[in-house]
Order: sequence, then structure tokens, then C-alpha cells
Amino acid sequence: MADDNIFDGTAIGQEVTFETFGCDVFHANPPTPDRLTPNVTFDLGARLGLDLPTPDFRSIEVWRFDHEQARTNAWPSPTLRMRQGQIVHTRMKARTNTHTIHHHGIEPTPFNDGVGHTSFEVSGEYTYQFQAGEAGTYFYHCHKNTTLHFEMGMYGFLIVDPPQGPGAVFEGGPRYDVEKLWAVDDLDPAWRELGHDAGLCGDDAGLNLFNPKYFAISGAFAPNTLTDPRAVVRARAGQRILIRLLNASYSILRTTLGVDATVVSIDGRGLGRAGSPWSRPFVIPANQPFELTTAQRYDLILTPPGPGTYSARFDFLHWITRAIQDQGRGIAATRIIVT
Amino acid sequence: MRRRQFLKYGAAAASSLLLAPDALAQSLVRVSLAIEAVDAEMIDGEVVFMLLFFSAGRPRPVIRVTEGDSVQFTIANNDTRAHGFSIPGAPGATISSIPAGASRSVTFTAPRGGTYLYLDPTRAPVYRVLGLHGAFIVAPRDPTTPAGVATPFSRAAQTLSLQRLFETLGPPGRFPGRRWIPPRDRVWVFSQTDPALNRRVDANQTINLATVTANFAPRYFTLNGFSGFDAAHDANTSPSGYVGEPLVLRVLNGGLATHSPHIHGNHVMELSGTNAASAQVVRDNIVERDTWIMAPLDRKDLLLPFERPPDIPDAVYPPRQEPFPLHYPMHCHTEMSQTAGGGNYPQGLITDWTILGPNPSAGA
Repeated sequence: MADDNIFDGTAIGQEVTFETFGCDVFHANPPTPDRLTPNVTFDLGARLGLDLPTPDFRSIEVWRFDHEQARTNAWPSPTLRMRQGQIVHTRMKARTNTHTIHHHGIEPTPFNDGVGHTSFEVSGEYTYQFQAGEAGTYFYHCHKNTTLHFEMGMYGFLIVDPPQGPGAVFEGGPRYDVEKLWAVDDLDPAWRELGHDAGLCGDDAGLNLFNPKYFAISGAFAPNTLTDPRAVVRARAGQRILIRLLNASYSILRTTLGVDATVVSIDGRGLGRAGSPWSRPFVIPANQPFELTTAQRYDLILTPPGPGTYSARFDFLHWITRAIQDQGRGIAATRIIVT
Repeated sequence: MRRRQFLKYGAAAASSLLLAPDALAQSLVRVSLAIEAVDAEMIDGEVVFMLLFFSAGRPRPVIRVTEGDSVQFTIANNDTRAHGFSIPGAPGATISSIPAGASRSVTFTAPRGGTYLYLDPTRAPVYRVLGLHGAFIVAPRDPTTPAGVATPFSRAAQTLSLQRLFETLGPPGRFPGRRWIPPRDRVWVFSQTDPALNRRVDANQTINLATVTANFAPRYFTLNGFSGFDAAHDANTSPSGYVGEPLVLRVLNGGLATHSPHIHGNHVMELSGTNAASAQVVRDNIVERDTWIMAPLDRKDLLLPFERPPDIPDAVYPPRQEPFPLHYPMHCHTEMSQTAGGGNYPQGLITDWTILGPNPSAGA
């Protein structure tokens, strides 16, 4: 196919206008430019309309990506795991309306970056291509009407292991025995009434106002987070625990752990790794709160001093008032149990 | 009474005012600002009352001086309300009150090289949030490392990590290309507007200052006064350059929301922030991030390295089919900020940055 045809109907090589920046953004299903043979391929489809039971005996709708084969009905979306240096293909079927995948923190060409106004939204199918350059913790999410689609749950972890595989955070970096993925999120039931393209073309959909009522750790809703295995960390004495922490909420996430934590990597960049002598790991003492805003990731190494149960608490703070969301109820707590 | 000015949407912000001492005034740098009430058009066409600083007839001026300069700010208050002036972190740069229709001056010594916010502290945070804030950039007088490499910070403020990072920019290694040079920067001032608050100020209603933050429900999220499409296409806002041409981002938040800016295409290095006393802190532990925190009144300097986007496959770099320039967004990830008037994604706090081509000095 001639190059020109690949880019037809996309933002590449043409002037973006006020309309194609937002309301009337590019829709396309092109072949992948500069396509290589992949080392690993993920087949994902957008799946809307999954109702999750909530602890108050109601339910709340989430949208997500799921494997095309071997569907899991999992939420958040499946974790994509690869090794540094691999050529990765993420083949995404939009299935309903248009969607994209932005691999957050992964930095490929714009055509593979999943942003409508700098490339296109997918109405059928597209294969995103990148080569995983740095080991670390990333995530992926839909970047169409992102305000809504990300909040609805269209995200999952993306983990780049070092070339040798899991067990170290990055090549030459700290090792771990037990790994836990905490995607911490908040959900506003009122936003479930909106259509996928709410507000895009000028109507006031109220997407500037966010009032979450449910608070979750990796798909488990508070207060079930105290016992749900998706949230609770279990380790044996002497084991080194790695927590990959993602703030997937629209709150300022204030985290308090009952055990010292060493921050060894931030946003997919190992602290003090080779070639980065201007950074170094640092310790957050037990019971000293620290804050992450939306989309930030911390990789934490925990070495609890001995058997016991250690607390972990997340306060969801409003982005303007800094008050705990939902009249003080916006809290999720879990435990780190060492036996 | 003055007829209020109508500020059409997209009215060009004042470009940087690079000010040098006036020879006749014996090393005094003079800055003249006016406080104006305006009806400003938002990106969706709504017209909102705002209070803005102007210079030479243009809004939101970026003021640039050099460390140690004697600087005189003269503020003409053309509004019907009393205002004031201050620059947190710059000792002596305060005018406690400027009566309506009056003009007042203050002279102070330009502080340590760095990024500062000038603002009206009167009836805080109201007048600041209605638009009375802007960027005050101080060039360091002694900006080089011991090895003679330019940085955005004074030698006395530099950390070993900062020196090491800037000395790594340019030579073969991780960041082959050019050294950072002082003109390679962009100023990003973040603001939020809640038309309901602005209407109340315009109507001279009594406002309980203690409840302003609790009731603040912004509908417009701007960067240098622009949002969405226009912020992405403003040459003074949107960074561009070739691979190997590092750039410093000077990011300030004049509003009340905590933003979470996320940049695509490259990670950035967080070089500086402020402490509780509003003083500049140059980091010794310089963290590479794709998303950073911008709390109200935060001022941070970050390095956008303009490195080759690291996840483009080696085998197809430079890309053969996908053409340069490569465009990437920077947007706030607390996505309520991506709206205008409650919808219109992504006409909020966003801009684009552009890689024009591969590293010219690498021959590829």
C-alpha cells in the first residue's frame, strides 16, 4: 500500500482544524506503518456495559478492554506484560463506536500513541506497535472522550519486565519475591447515565464535575478491600514485596502504609538506574502519607520487619477542596499480611 | 466610567517582555502593568468577566529580568475595585493596596534565577483566580556549571545532580545533540475559571472568602489564557524542535485546582519546585516522570529532553513511512480539566509539542 493511503483520513500529513481537534475527530482503520514482526501480540476488544455488584447491594457499570479470545470479564482490563526490547503489537477492535488505546508512559510514534487529534480514533480495528524501551510500570487506556472513557474503566496495567523476565523491577535493579498491582480508582454513578460521546460537540454534559461514590483497589470495592484478595497482600516473613501503585482515580490519592516503603521506580523509570545518576531511590517511612495525582505510578519495595498485619490506607481527596470525597467516605483500606 | 474592554477569544497574549536596565535610570528595570476588567470570550463562545494584567495593551505578559537587577513595577489599577501586587518568593516585591483608578510602584532586587508567579493577593484567592496572575522569569546571573555548561539556575542554587544532568545534554551518550541554551524554554501558566464566581465579583456581591475554594466549580481550564485547539497551536506555548534540542518548561498554577499534567512522547525531568515558604528548591534527586503534580501556586521547572521517543522500534527509526513532524499532546490527566463548558473534550488544559525531525547532528 502506498504510504499516502495509510495516512488518509488521519491527522498525519494534514492540517488539524478546530473541528478535527475535537468534535469531528478523525476515524480510521489503517494498516500499521513501518510494521515489524512482533515478539508479543495482545488481542483486545472494547467491551462496554459490565455491571459490577457493589457492597451496598447495588451495581455500577464499567467499560473495559478484554481479551478477544479467552474473555475474562475482568475489571480493570487485563494486565499486558512484556519484556524490555520486545516488539509489541496491541491489536484493538473497537466493536462499539470508536475507541483508542494510549499506552501511557510508552512513547511510540504519534500513529501508535492512540490520541485522536494527533492520529485517529479506531472505528473497526488497528494494531498499535512499539518496542518496550524501559522496564517499569505503565498502564493503557482509551483516549477517546478520555474524561468519560477512562473514568468508565477502560484501562489496565502494562508492565515491562527487564529482559531476563519478572523478579527484578529493572535490569540491575531491586529484586522482589511477591508482587502486587494496586490500581486505585473512584467511580461516579452519575456519569453512568452519559453516552460514549457525551459533550463532544458542544453540549454541557457536566464532565467538569466529578463526585465519586465508590472507591476501589484493583477492582475490589471498599470496604471489601480489607479482605478481597485483589487488594490484600500476602507474603512470608523475609520476602521482599513489590507494589506497583497506580492512581487511576480523579482524586489526589493520599496513601499511608504501616510499613516503610522504598520508592524504586516512578512512571516506568528506575531511580538510579544505569544512565540516570541524577536520581536515586528514597524511603517513605511507615505512617507518613504521600500523594499521587491522576495517572502517576510508584513502584514500592516493602521489607516488613517480621510477621504481622500492616495497614494500607488510601484517602481520595477532591482536586480543588482537598476534602475527602463523598463527605469523608472516600477511603479505601487494605492490609499487608506477613506470616 | 471606562468602557470595559472586550477580549475576543484567542486575543494574542503579550509575548515575553525581555527587560534590561534602562541606561538613563542607572540600572533600574522598569515594568509597567495595568489591571483591567474585561469581558473575555471563552473557547466555546461564552463571555466571562475577568480581571487581567496587561502590558502595552496586551494581556497576560510574561516578564523577564535578570537576577540582581533593580526592578521597578508600576501598576495602574484601571478597575473599580482596590487591588494589590506581590511575587511570592521575591522579597520586597509587594504593593499592599492600589486604590481604584490609582497607580503605585515598588522597587526590589530581582531574586535568584528561576520561575515566579506575580499576582494580586487582595481578597485571596478571588482576584488571583479571576485572572490576576502571570509569570515572572528571572535569568540567573551565574548560570553555568563548573564545567561551563548553561543551566536555568544560579551556580549557588545548583545541585550536583542538576549539574550532572545538564552536562549530559549534548555529548554522545544518552542525549546526543545540543547543549541546552537559555532561549530554549516555554512558560506554561495554568488557570481555571468558574463563571459563577466571576459574575458575583462583577456584580460587587459580598463574597465569603472562606468558602470560595469549597464552592469553586471551574468550567474553563486554560494554559497561557488559551485552551484546547488554540493552546495546541500557539507558537509561544507549544514547544518544537529537533531531537537533541532540550527545552526547559516553566510551569505555574495560578488557580485553585491541583492539576496532573501528563506529557506524551518523552518523559520530563523535574528540576525544581518550591518549599512551604515559596522559595525555589532545585532538586538533588531529579526524577523522570510522564505525569507531575501542579498544586495551586506551584512553580516547577522541568526539562523536556527532546530525546528520540524511546519506544519507537530501533529497526524503524527514523520511521520510513510515518513522516516527521511528530506531534504529541501534553494534557492534564485529572480529566475534568479536559472540558470547556462541561463538555467539548479536549478543549481544556492541553497543548501539543512537536519533534520537527531527527537529530541533525547525528546524521540520521
